[in-house]
Amino acid sequence: MVELRNVSYTYPNGQKALDHVNLKLNDGEFAFVVGNSGAGKSTLIKLLLKELTATEGEVYVNGYNLNKIKKRKIPHLRRTIGVVFQDFRLIPNLTVYDNIAFALRVIDAPQKYIRTRVPYVISLVGLTSKAKSYPSDLSGGEQQRVALARALVNDPKLIIADEPTGNVDPARSYEIVDLLKAINECGTTVLMVTHQHELIRYFGGRIININTGSVVFDEVIGGADEIQ
Amino acid sequence: MRFNSFKYLVKQGFKSLWFNRVNAFASLCIVTVSLLMVGVSMLLSINITKMIGSIESRNEVIVMITDGTPDNNVTLLGQQLNENENIFEVNFYSKEDAWLDMQTEMTEEEKSLFQFIDENPLPDAYRVRVSDISELDKTVAEISALNSVDLVKAPNDFASVLTSIRNVSAILFSAVTLALIIVCFVIISNTTRTSVYARRKEINIMRYVGATKAFVEIPFFVEGMVIGILSSAIAFGLTWLTYTEVYKMLSADFQTWSIFGISGIISWNDIALYTGIAYLVCGSLLSAVGSVWATRKHLNV
Repeated sequence: MVELRNVSYTYPNGQKALDHVNLKLNDGEFAFVVGNSGAGKSTLIKLLLKELTATEGEVYVNGYNLNKIKKRKIPHLRRTIGVVFQDFRLIPNLTVYDNIAFALRVIDAPQKYIRTRVPYVISLVGLTSKAKSYPSDLSGGEQQRVALARALVNDPKLIIADEPTGNVDPARSYEIVDLLKAINECGTTVLMVTHQHELIRYFGGRIININTGSVVFDEVIGGADEIQ
Repeated sequence: MRFNSFKYLVKQGFKSLWFNRVNAFASLCIVTVSLLMVGVSMLLSINITKMIGSIESRNEVIVMITDGTPDNNVTLLGQQLNENENIFEVNFYSKEDAWLDMQTEMTEEEKSLFQFIDENPLPDAYRVRVSDISELDKTVAEISALNSVDLVKAPNDFASVLTSIRNVSAILFSAVTLALIIVCFVIISNTTRTSVYARRKEINIMRYVGATKAFVEIPFFVEGMVIGILSSAIAFGLTWLTYTEVYKMLSADFQTWSIFGISGIISWNDIALYTGIAYLVCGSLLSAVGSVWATRKHLNV
């Protein structure tokens, strides 16, 4: 569960990024976050990942109060969140398998678990045949699926996708969101930041619009796929 | 932490070392040279201290006894000298022995001057040796205050020269060591910083997937330690070669030096173990502290 109670964030240079934001995302929900550049979307993500601490208000993520969390507990919070970025952020000198296994290795997971979990997650994103390929051998869509698999491999409660379709060709964008929807149907909460309004129109669901640091719209809309 | 994870992190440290090899090699060279200079200044200082020590132990203070002192007072004076903490050897030097020694050392011309003297003009004396030459003035004052002492002859000027040499060498050694330790520290932390920069993307991913601070830091620690230990080993090898060569070159001169009371330099076998341990401790400690410091400073996990 994600909850922001009256949250504000002002950068050290005085720029106010979020202004008294109230937001609640229940377990198992799927929400799109939209807004112009500089609206405060990135700040919101940074607050949820505890990269920044709210200057005002309270932030709760997966049972952690991020205003009171101890520094040594931050890695444990992050293990409950899977993050996907626009630029994939894969390690170029590691294969698909190793990029995904990396996420388990760094949290000290048993080798036996890594050997069974990684192939399973690779199959979920449909990349079994590319397990031994390097990121440079993959298309943008495939790379994003690897990044998604890496986010999934820890079995997180929440997936934050920061413009995951930004570097993927339009046809493949739908596949990525389809994948996120499928993950969400299995019970994982998904928060997806996007600029692509056609995706929102197509899939519908809860839309949170942030403008100049405030939530200006938070409604559920029907998607084209539902109408079809 | 699981053994497999530890193995993985150590491997990452080595991989990072290879990836960062040009920089790592540069730091290896600088750390080796710095350790070598610390080692050389340490060995020089040890040898100077030993040489001064050998001169000290040969230094004699002559305590002349007042003429006509009864025998039991002379014995008492001997006991009192023995009780002094800074005196480690006391020998009685009778006026007869002194007279004989003097006559053997005299030239024929000098002897002719003394041929009309029937009575031995020299006093009885004690020859004593002091352990710490820097305390010589104090010891001489203590001896002079004793009963039956007529005159104390001590090489005060020589003692002060030796003490200054020892003090200057100790200060120089400390200053050189401190400066080079700082250089090593800066170099190791700079290598770690470069390595952190080179691996920043990976570190960023590690942070997002919930790696603990220790997990992120261990590969850098391994990298620093490898540089430190390798540098220590190279510095040890170079010191070994150089020291044994210098020892061989100077061993011919030892006999000449011994005339002046200077002992030879310490043999390599006597100090090899200590030098090795000193290099290893210094190298690994510096690299460990340097890499951890730099990681903490440049990594915001």
